[in-house]
Amino acid sequence: MIANVKQWKIPAMMVLAPFGMLAAEALSAIGPAKAQGATRQQLAHAAHTLRAADSAHLRYLSASGSLLYEEGRASGTLPGNMRVHFDVGATFSGSFTIYTRGGTITGHGTATPHGAGVYESFAGSLVVTHGSGRYTHAQGRAGLYGTFDRNNYALVVQTTGTLRY
Amino acid sequence: MLLMVVMLCACLPAAAQGTSSASLGAKFIPEQLGRRTTLEFSFSFSAAAGQVPPPLTQIELRYPDNLGLGLSGLGLATCTSATLEASGPSGCPPNSVMGYGQALTGIVLGATPITESAPITILRSPDVDGHLAVLFSSEGTAPVDTRIVFPGLLLPASAPFGGLVSVGVPLVPTLPGAPYISVIWLHATLGPRKVTYDEEVNGRTLAYTPKGILLPNSCPRGGFPFAAQFDFFDGSLSNARTAMRCPGHG
Repeated sequence: MIANVKQWKIPAMMVLAPFGMLAAEALSAIGPAKAQGATRQQLAHAAHTLRAADSAHLRYLSASGSLLYEEGRASGTLPGNMRVHFDVGATFSGSFTIYTRGGTITGHGTATPHGAGVYESFAGSLVVTHGSGRYTHAQGRAGLYGTFDRNNYALVVQTTGTLRY
Repeated sequence: MLLMVVMLCACLPAAAQGTSSASLGAKFIPEQLGRRTTLEFSFSFSAAAGQVPPPLTQIELRYPDNLGLGLSGLGLATCTSATLEASGPSGCPPNSVMGYGQALTGIVLGATPITESAPITILRSPDVDGHLAVLFSSEGTAPVDTRIVFPGLLLPASAPFGGLVSVGVPLVPTLPGAPYISVIWLHATLGPRKVTYDEEVNGRTLAYTPKGILLPNSCPRGGFPFAAQFDFFDGSLSNARTAMRCPGHG
């Protein structure tokens, strides 16, 4: 399972609790000229912009080499279950999928670990690349912060950013 | 007599230090895919008869991708170079030790090569510019009583490598006018072998062995690749590569 992730070459870290602060601010971000030429469906796809701040607590499922597979609950603007593959290398890199009620949100990210000790903090960024269901056209970026427990490999992740779908 | 030797050395340093070729060795202990392991690596430098290699100034060791160093449970504490220089490895937290080794160094005094074996301890140190940092401590006793501390950084590396350890090796003077110490070979381990950590459980301190480097469940094509570049004081470079054959499953 983890070997597959490797092939993705995911750079970065992980998890993104989906986007954190999705504080929900639905903006109609499409300009009038563009909107006139767009279909109703296209408008729907671009009509939502969420500013989000979320967090996730992930537990270790399996590992192979430096690749970890984890799963857990994300809470915040886009609550759901999250699955993450990530590479604990000189930098952290990985991919994630959040399973929400309305569909999935998928992306990847990278982060730089800091400090020593059982709990290692990290900071970086993530990109949402696609989704399914309500989030089929999901795209976005977010800051990525958290801690990694080097004893049991548990991750706590916080994200703050913007999601368009 | 000593003065004569020193003068002779000062006159003939170039003749005593020849160009060098390097070899690199690496193996996992135990060798089982999907299991925890200790990485053992070694360098050696050849020189013409009666000579020693030029003094080493820099090592870059590239290690394979997907090697679970970050999941090894090693380096849970840090030690500073100031502590190491003042007290040696025994002054550092036990949970900062990441491995042990041995180095053989030498100089040529007159026409006589003199060698010295010194134990090495590898310890985690505070991060530098966001990179995981380590310290190498080497303590020789005879014929030269010296303690050397030198730093290393874990840096990203391009495929097929997962990262590299960049180590700056200091020049170690010997006698006035004599050449700097040369490294002839070095063996070291990175992993839980012979390493003991402490943890607090219900107010009691218990000893345990760290988990160790996690090997992947599958082997890279061609084995696990390692590569090293060595920079010498005379400006020369030497490169060495090796690939560890694929071990079986645990």
